[in-house]
Amino acid sequence: MMATLTRIGAIVVKEFRHLLRDPRMLLAVVITPVIQLLLFAYAISFDVENVPTLVVDLDQTQTSRTYLEQYEASPFFEVVAHGSTLADVDTAFDQNTARVAIVIQAGFARSLAAGEQAQVSVMVDGSEPNAAKVSQAYSVAINQLYTQQLTRQWADAQGLDLSSVGMLEPRVRTWYNPERRSSDFLIPGLMVVIIAIVTVQQTAVTLVRERDLGTEEQLEVSPLRKVELMVGKLLPWTLIAFAEVAMITGLGRTVFGIPMRGDFWALAVGAALFVFASLGMGLLISAVAPSLDTANILAMLIAFLPSFLLSGLAFALDQIPVVLQWISYGFPARYMVTISRGVFLKGAGFPEVWPELAALAVYAVVMIVISSVLYGRRARR
Amino acid sequence: MSAKRVRLLIWKEFTQLRRDPLLIRLLLLMPVLQLIMFGYVVAVDVRNLSTAVVDLDQTVASRQLQAAFSGSGYFTITRTPASEADLQPLLDSGTIKVALVIPQGTQDRLGRGETAPIGIIVDGSDSQISAIGSGYASQIIAQFNTDRRTSSGAQLDAPGIDARVRVMFNPTLDPINTMIPGLIAAIMMISLMVIMSQAVVKERESGTLEQMFVTPIKATEYLIGKLTPYAALATAQMALVALGGLYWFKVPFNGSFWVVLVGLLLFMFTCLGLGLLISLVSRTRHQAQQAVMFLMIPTMVLSGFIFPIQSMPPAIQPLTNLIPLTFALEVLRGAFVKGSGFEALAVPMLALAGFGVVIFGASIIATRRRIAE
Repeated sequence: MMATLTRIGAIVVKEFRHLLRDPRMLLAVVITPVIQLLLFAYAISFDVENVPTLVVDLDQTQTSRTYLEQYEASPFFEVVAHGSTLADVDTAFDQNTARVAIVIQAGFARSLAAGEQAQVSVMVDGSEPNAAKVSQAYSVAINQLYTQQLTRQWADAQGLDLSSVGMLEPRVRTWYNPERRSSDFLIPGLMVVIIAIVTVQQTAVTLVRERDLGTEEQLEVSPLRKVELMVGKLLPWTLIAFAEVAMITGLGRTVFGIPMRGDFWALAVGAALFVFASLGMGLLISAVAPSLDTANILAMLIAFLPSFLLSGLAFALDQIPVVLQWISYGFPARYMVTISRGVFLKGAGFPEVWPELAALAVYAVVMIVISSVLYGRRARR
Repeated sequence: MSAKRVRLLIWKEFTQLRRDPLLIRLLLLMPVLQLIMFGYVVAVDVRNLSTAVVDLDQTVASRQLQAAFSGSGYFTITRTPASEADLQPLLDSGTIKVALVIPQGTQDRLGRGETAPIGIIVDGSDSQISAIGSGYASQIIAQFNTDRRTSSGAQLDAPGIDARVRVMFNPTLDPINTMIPGLIAAIMMISLMVIMSQAVVKERESGTLEQMFVTPIKATEYLIGKLTPYAALATAQMALVALGGLYWFKVPFNGSFWVVLVGLLLFMFTCLGLGLLISLVSRTRHQAQQAVMFLMIPTMVLSGFIFPIQSMPPAIQPLTNLIPLTFALEVLRGAFVKGSGFEALAVPMLALAGFGVVIFGASIIATRRRIAE
């Protein structure tokens, strides 16, 4: 028993020495997560605000200016330019200087004064679909509100019954993340991607590398047992993964002010299970991949793409086709994102996230068993 | 410069690639997988959001509003709890994403000509859904108000605004139409950076690079022989994505083929240069792989490929100009979606050319220097 521990210890020391000897590697393992964190926390957002808007006022009256103030006052539109002809709209859209154009036809004030419907065209650049959808929605809302105001004034002046002027007004409340800060939404999920990349990719590669360099044979003729080699190889990355979980949680709580509303221990248990599941995946790749290149690409396909796209990190899972939803259950990232977001944002604890925890546990056990069997069989050849 | 030596080098490179059958299969599988992932996951149209309605009013007006919501296609009413307190567990468990609360007395207020508040609760733990969901909700309510006014008939002679909202270029607002052109550029960058950087470092790692230099092969021949196979591979991957996009996802192509071709060629020099530079600074393949990852994530996040540049904070937006992919996306999306020509895309084209000259030039000089050593 003691001898086993010494031998595992020796492998762990060897692995850390490899890592320390390569300062660029160390930098990549430590700095990359921090850069990712900064990028995701500061750069990414789906909120649509200050859409650059071009205004073409062909009427040039006090009335048209009052109407345009509605857009100036709205946080969704930012009037960046005033055009004088319709051709300005084409130029602005072609050069991406504006995404929305509002054209007030000549005779706008006259129509309103005559009690008619005044013509306004709103053009939305559809090449950025999300922004276009939201701009479309809010321009409709602004116009409707303004019409309502006009009708009310008119009805007041005519002394008419106001019954049909009543209107509904949406009051939107955003739960869990009232300021809609995307960092609150992304950092809990980002942790999952970072762990997946570090553990799956690194474990996949460390084992294949020994085979590529021919040092695997040397290890095999040493008194090391296969299990000891495996444990020794995986332990350093387990430790690094845990350190990264702690680092991201710490940075998220202190620098980005992410709330921690739920049970910390549920998160810790989830993270541990997720790390084991990922290690199992890395091991599996290293057992199947014939070369380092293949291991690399496989790791990217299995670790990066699903944990980034099929985990619910940034893209809602209930919106994707059913087949892909089933596939998403086949990767552990999905469960971990649910746990992480539940604990950080929704105040979840063991009672809420136990199904995900159980899934991760089963996943970890199955992965490690399969990969050890395959790895053992491969080494014997 | 000998065409024969270049040909031999290219042949050697392909033989080496073929030796790992799994690798080739993976390289062809990659564009297909990404097409599926980006086509069906990232470019998904947010629809059928599961919604709960708390109707405390129980009147004709409140039922009309519910019908407007469920008829829009954006919201699917899955639950109708009796009180607002019941919403908490539903949102907590993620059963619903949006809740609509119609307060008591809504119809009475409307009848008195007052403004009646309607509560809309969105799940902020998913920022895409909260942004789009609240936008749709406002639109539906606006439409409801307009319909109500016009159907009353009495006010037809009241002044109003007849706003025609028209979506240009992408009238269906289907996100896939902008995702596929972007993916074509992205896949070239990923493929060239990942595979090429590895290929050169591998020669150094196994010591065959030195052997190469004692042969009569000149530096230019080595470069051409090394770059051509990977450029060809990346072109095949791009063609796969483009065909998949045009024929499977039915993405409309409104622009000129030549604009796309010139844009991609200019961008290819940047990608080749980046791949070469990575392989020059990395001593092992492991390092090269880390370097690629290191560059890839800021590129994906800041280029506007997945996350719109417009939604980024103003302080970050200038940074996106440092990323070549940003301009490649502008060219490809401009050509695909807007049908823009060379004139409208002059700025991004020039930027791509600039990146190409600087990065590719630097990588050539660095390679020559390395070889001369």
